[in-house]
Amino acid sequence: MVKSIIELNEDLRNEKIDSESLFNQSVKLAKDSQKEYNPFVTILDKYEKNDSDSLVNGIPYVLKDNISTKGILTTASSNILSNYVPVYDATIYKKLKEAGAVLVGKTVLDELAMGGTGMTGHTGIVKNPWDKSRQIGGSSAGSAAAVALGIVPFAIGSDTGDSVRKPAAYGGVVGFKPTYGRISRYGLFPFASSLDHLGIFARNVRDVAIVTDIVKGHDEHDMTSLPDDDKIYTKMLDQSVKGRKLFYIKEALENDDNDSNLSEIIDNFKNVIKKCESIGIEVCEESISKELLLALYPAYMAISCAEATSNDANLNGIHFGVRGEGKTPDEIITDARTKGFSELIKRRFIIGSYILQRENQEKLFLNAYRVRRLVVDKMNELFKKYDGLIMPAAAGIAPKFEDKTDKLSDKYLILDNHLCIGNFGGYPSITIPCGFVNKMPIAINITGRIKEDDLVLNMANKLEDVMEYKNQVAGGDK
Amino acid sequence: MDKKTLKLLAKKLMFTMNEEEYDTLSEEFATILKQMDLIGKIDNIDKVEPLIYPFPLENTLMREDEVLDELPIDDILLNSGSSLYNQVKVPKVVE
Amino acid sequence: MRKVVIGLEVHCELKSNSKIFSSAKNGFSDIPNSNVSVVDMGMPGILPVVNKEAVRNSIKMALAMNCMVPDYLTFERKNYFYPDLPKGYQITQFKHPIGTNGYVMIDVNGEDKKILIHDTHLEEDTASMDHYNDYSLLDYNRCGVPLLETVTEPCINSADEAVAFLEGLRSIFLYTDTSYARSDKGQIRCDVNVSLMEENATELGTRVEIKNINSFSGVKEAIISEVARQNEVLDNGGEIVQETRRYDESTNKTYTMRSKEDAIDYRYFTDPNLPPIKIDKEWVEEIKSEIPKLHNERFRIYTKEYNINTKDAYTIVKDKKVSDFYEECVNLLNEPVLISNWLTGDVMKYLNRESLTIEEAKLNPIMLTDMIKMVIQGKINGKQAKEVLEKMLDTGKDANTLVNELGMTQISDEGEIRQIILSVLAENKNLIDDYKAGKKVFDYIVGLVMKTTRGKANPIISAKVLKEELEKYL
Repeated sequence: MVKSIIELNEDLRNEKIDSESLFNQSVKLAKDSQKEYNPFVTILDKYEKNDSDSLVNGIPYVLKDNISTKGILTTASSNILSNYVPVYDATIYKKLKEAGAVLVGKTVLDELAMGGTGMTGHTGIVKNPWDKSRQIGGSSAGSAAAVALGIVPFAIGSDTGDSVRKPAAYGGVVGFKPTYGRISRYGLFPFASSLDHLGIFARNVRDVAIVTDIVKGHDEHDMTSLPDDDKIYTKMLDQSVKGRKLFYIKEALENDDNDSNLSEIIDNFKNVIKKCESIGIEVCEESISKELLLALYPAYMAISCAEATSNDANLNGIHFGVRGEGKTPDEIITDARTKGFSELIKRRFIIGSYILQRENQEKLFLNAYRVRRLVVDKMNELFKKYDGLIMPAAAGIAPKFEDKTDKLSDKYLILDNHLCIGNFGGYPSITIPCGFVNKMPIAINITGRIKEDDLVLNMANKLEDVMEYKNQVAGGDK
Repeated sequence: MDKKTLKLLAKKLMFTMNEEEYDTLSEEFATILKQMDLIGKIDNIDKVEPLIYPFPLENTLMREDEVLDELPIDDILLNSGSSLYNQVKVPKVVE
Repeated sequence: MRKVVIGLEVHCELKSNSKIFSSAKNGFSDIPNSNVSVVDMGMPGILPVVNKEAVRNSIKMALAMNCMVPDYLTFERKNYFYPDLPKGYQITQFKHPIGTNGYVMIDVNGEDKKILIHDTHLEEDTASMDHYNDYSLLDYNRCGVPLLETVTEPCINSADEAVAFLEGLRSIFLYTDTSYARSDKGQIRCDVNVSLMEENATELGTRVEIKNINSFSGVKEAIISEVARQNEVLDNGGEIVQETRRYDESTNKTYTMRSKEDAIDYRYFTDPNLPPIKIDKEWVEEIKSEIPKLHNERFRIYTKEYNINTKDAYTIVKDKKVSDFYEECVNLLNEPVLISNWLTGDVMKYLNRESLTIEEAKLNPIMLTDMIKMVIQGKINGKQAKEVLEKMLDTGKDANTLVNELGMTQISDEGEIRQIILSVLAENKNLIDDYKAGKKVFDYIVGLVMKTTRGKANPIISAKVLKEELEKYL
């Protein structure tokens, strides 16, 4: 299943293959990959499809397991939801269903989408298809792996800090999160509501645009969803980008420790800038105060943990989820939550709850939201001059499993934490593969102005065209 | 942050952790609080209006007052661990 | 004597078709879990969507209580765990309530008193629970019903004032048509803060909160009992502990629920799923224009301008429907006192006897005023009018039809009456003799006239004509 959506659509139209066979192929690939890479919580075995004349009609895909699917187990990769069967459909799932796309499975995530390693799901760790000793990254780990492995041409994930764009980078695929509210969040199990976005994985920008065209739009179930923009992004992909201007942040590219991976990434980035210039995009250096850049991660942690501790307070095992034992309601709730959450989640909840306490709100919680304002104001100011920000998506290649845990630590690289700017301001942001370091894929990220999803896709598409990393699949043809 | 405070925080969130987990948490707290302290030192940070939503969402419309979505009783009880007479059952709530 | 200081927090369910954040029905159903959506149950991934009608009603109430309405509608989350709270947080208003700094005028034993409103805010109700021997059952029907919480300043000084305020507040809900405000259905519930102030003190005493009282009489009893308890503690040299207590109706006492140390930090924060919504000034004006004259204004007009006694005026304003009925009558016939007498007298007596509301009654203002007009014009007498009214209420027929059907039309024509009197006198010549002899037969003759006309002869005209005729013989 290494073909693109367009190619598969053509095959289906020409009856070279039928959609049920395509589904069966996907299911087989999914099952075959499961033991080695563990991308799935659930692999579906029943072929079900609506008729439509959309481009994804008959095309198999997967959803991250924090997207509500009526009648299909949805666990958020957490023990507390390991038996939860939703009674309603998420808007994004409904739209894909109506467009005739065929759901193959639900993919593993970091528990409750909190984390960036792909190692904390209740069904085990997800491995990087390019190197099994490495992380794929998270939290949309299984969705990234499924696309990188060529199991499906596209997958849906969610992105609160970088949860689509980081694993896309580590997996050598394209990952896009449109403007906040462009895709309805109705049915997405929340992590941090003011930062949560749905996003799309595919192996090329055009496929990402095709899917975005289908799933975007205003939703009366989501008050934060944007009004329809009445644009077809796919049609704008090939417009000229001549005269467009991008900037990168000087401070994020400092390499004081002379990290060798980072050096290679910076070299590669210089090369990407040349590619940009070759298609008429000017790239300039800009400066943002280091103080602010260093505040990104703690502000992100404070906001996301605080919102999460409240968002996940519905997980009490009473009306849904795994019921706890005990003689009083307090006992059963405490038992359910104690057994249902892993350590990392509990630590995040406690931090979030502490930050929200009356006496800490001003200094911790509101200060985090203030940093958010300063960052977004700065970005909006730069966006007056530039069409977008271009940066390496990460400071290195996918880490080894033993390299990094999700503990908070003092050591911290701006280049590994800048993607949350896209969530702070709700900007459209895309990661596309741009090379290899130590045989592992690396990627570039472009972040644009709010509501200009079409321009971000357009620039990414043009840049992708002049690089050789389109439609790549881990481990060669499948 | 001392363990007693952390345990109280956990209790308020209705779960418990084991001793080593509290140690890790304590380290994390030290880190995040140190980082948050740095944020507090940003010039005039207290004068900045907090940004809660990514950008202003204009023309948000309220819902018209119509009855549309109601769940069948089977769906309401489907995921509850225990039910009786079409209601979700819990151990006796003592106020 | 220590001064009693009371503040009230009153929760009242608002009227609307659907719930505040979901499109499940807002209705009181006896069938458990029959009006529930995924949003009400706080299922993973749900999002709240604000119901315009609930907001409209909350603004209407805020304005009726003379509150300031903010420029933007915003909501916070109040975080706590309880089995009746499926999301683990309640969506409420903390920073910018829908109404602030208002007041409500109440009448305490004939004296006006201004009760200051700190704020009134919009929020969602929780699930209801039924408790059995060793388990409780959760019904999510009530989850998400729009609730308006009104918080007074600590400016109430007795149990009677508290009840007067609650009655007044309920009346505003009913007059603005924003709630059924029925405490028997748990639609209006109350938390009471009570403290005592030493005579010369300048600061408020330690405050005790009594939670969740479901009836106005309960509020009264709880306050009386709590004031007595606090007085006793202070009299014995003790100190009042800041705490939350509950009131037990069966023992008529309050009991400790939790101390100040156990007070919950609700960790309020702005709900990121609900962006601020601009509250249009024109919309507020439009809502304002829909607020009818409230009961205390009507009471003032009835007693001061119409000269109706306070008891009757109170009876009329107690129910807006009755008051509306009354005002329509007064518009049709400018006889406010007469109308009040009929309405608070025979009409209310009938309604009470038959357990009907004024709306259910087969009587409309035109029917009532037509009848009263007939009395004024002397077409029927008072006794007949009572009979007509009863029949009107029974059948819904108008006064004219009934008067004809019952053959009650009075003979008021002087000439006709004279003819009748002359023939009565002609048949009873002995009576004329008796009259001449000074015997008191006048009323007897009037009776004969009435008997002959089967009561239809106008008694006043009859008496006048009879006097004239008899005088001819003197």
